[in-house]
Amino acid sequence: MALGDLEREIMTVLWERYLPMTVREVHQELARERHRDLAYTTVMTVLDRLAKKSVVRQIKDGRAYKYAPVQSRAEMTAAVMMDALSGTPDQDAALAHFVGALPPEALRAALEAIQQER
Amino acid sequence: MTALLLGALGLTLSLIVPGPLARAHWPDRAPAAAVLLWQAITLAAVLSALGVVLAAPEELTRAFGSGKPVAAEGSGKPVAAAALIGALAVAAVIVLRLLVSLWGVSRRSRARRERHRLLVDLLDRAEQRQELDAGNVRVLQGNLPLAYCVPGREARVVLSDGALRLLDREQVDAVLAHEQTHLRHRHEVVMESFTAFYRAVPAALRSRAPLDAVHLLLEMVADDAAGKRTGPAPLRGALERLTDAVPLAEEVVPEQDSRRRRMARLASPQSPSRALTGAVVAAAVALLVLPTVILVVPWLDQALAVWPL
Repeated sequence: MALGDLEREIMTVLWERYLPMTVREVHQELARERHRDLAYTTVMTVLDRLAKKSVVRQIKDGRAYKYAPVQSRAEMTAAVMMDALSGTPDQDAALAHFVGALPPEALRAALEAIQQER
Repeated sequence: MTALLLGALGLTLSLIVPGPLARAHWPDRAPAAAVLLWQAITLAAVLSALGVVLAAPEELTRAFGSGKPVAAEGSGKPVAAAALIGALAVAAVIVLRLLVSLWGVSRRSRARRERHRLLVDLLDRAEQRQELDAGNVRVLQGNLPLAYCVPGREARVVLSDGALRLLDREQVDAVLAHEQTHLRHRHEVVMESFTAFYRAVPAALRSRAPLDAVHLLLEMVADDAAGKRTGPAPLRGALERLTDAVPLAEEVVPEQDSRRRRMARLASPQSPSRALTGAVVAAAVALLVLPTVILVVPWLDQALAVWPL
């Protein structure tokens, strides 16, 4: 399994629980719910990498570390969409090319409206 | 005289030409060549500015020096030398400012895209894109219909599942072909160079017109490539659905105009005009070559005889 897929699966586990989990708990969850038979150290390494990329928070709990996502899946998705929509060409290079000639300001407003409905 | 003419050319290219050219509709029939023309205009404006900086001090010292032929031989030399050094220094500052701006823009966008790619990879709903065969597509969960690409060495095309629900299979393929064209042709590099130029130019001399015009032209280039793959109808349908799905504020008129122009091209696709493409490319080349040959070379001829080298 590629490293990218592994990171994504582990994030999914953390997002579904949302409460801080130990490496062992993540490892068990992966085996039980997703039938991924991974080495314990692999899970630990990936969690460490995710913490370094600051998408996961490392929490000291007694002698063990627990891990939790810094944002919920919905929050992070909204942040990513906002990032894609912001950045007009004259400020800095646009992040992305859009297929629709959708005005970014209008999309932003729509996204904010959707956020507030929740 | 050379400095005056080059100055006039530079001001014409940076202040007078961009507005009408951005509003003109003939570039829609040769978008790739038109991008080349915009690049030639921008580069020619920079070269004119450099030409003014180099030629003006030399021409001034020559004009004043010639008034007193006796003194010219002895006292003219240090003045000419100082003028030359000053001119070279200013020219170096201009070039450096452009390079620093370009470096900054590409560094910042690279970092931002890197982070963005990491996050879409983590958020990807892989199970929703099983039947899309492209390996670099990622699907975000959300009702807002979105389709965009994240350029870079490991590029991504991002769709929201809102967009996937809204579009049929053919339309999704057209959107993907459009985005993959942006990535394959490295359109972000073109946009970055225009952005860097815009940011480096003093506010009084710059115009947003080239940025917006080139952006629209690149969309047209991607539309054409996607149209070749899937036919123009699916892309047109996708554009319509993606735009109609979002309640738009009415005040954004220029964007509406560029959308109309893209829609019109997709509604009645014309075969690309080879004659127009040729003429536009020729104009772009002429813009770079002619001022050099007509103005700069004769001046250099005279100046080299006088310069204290």
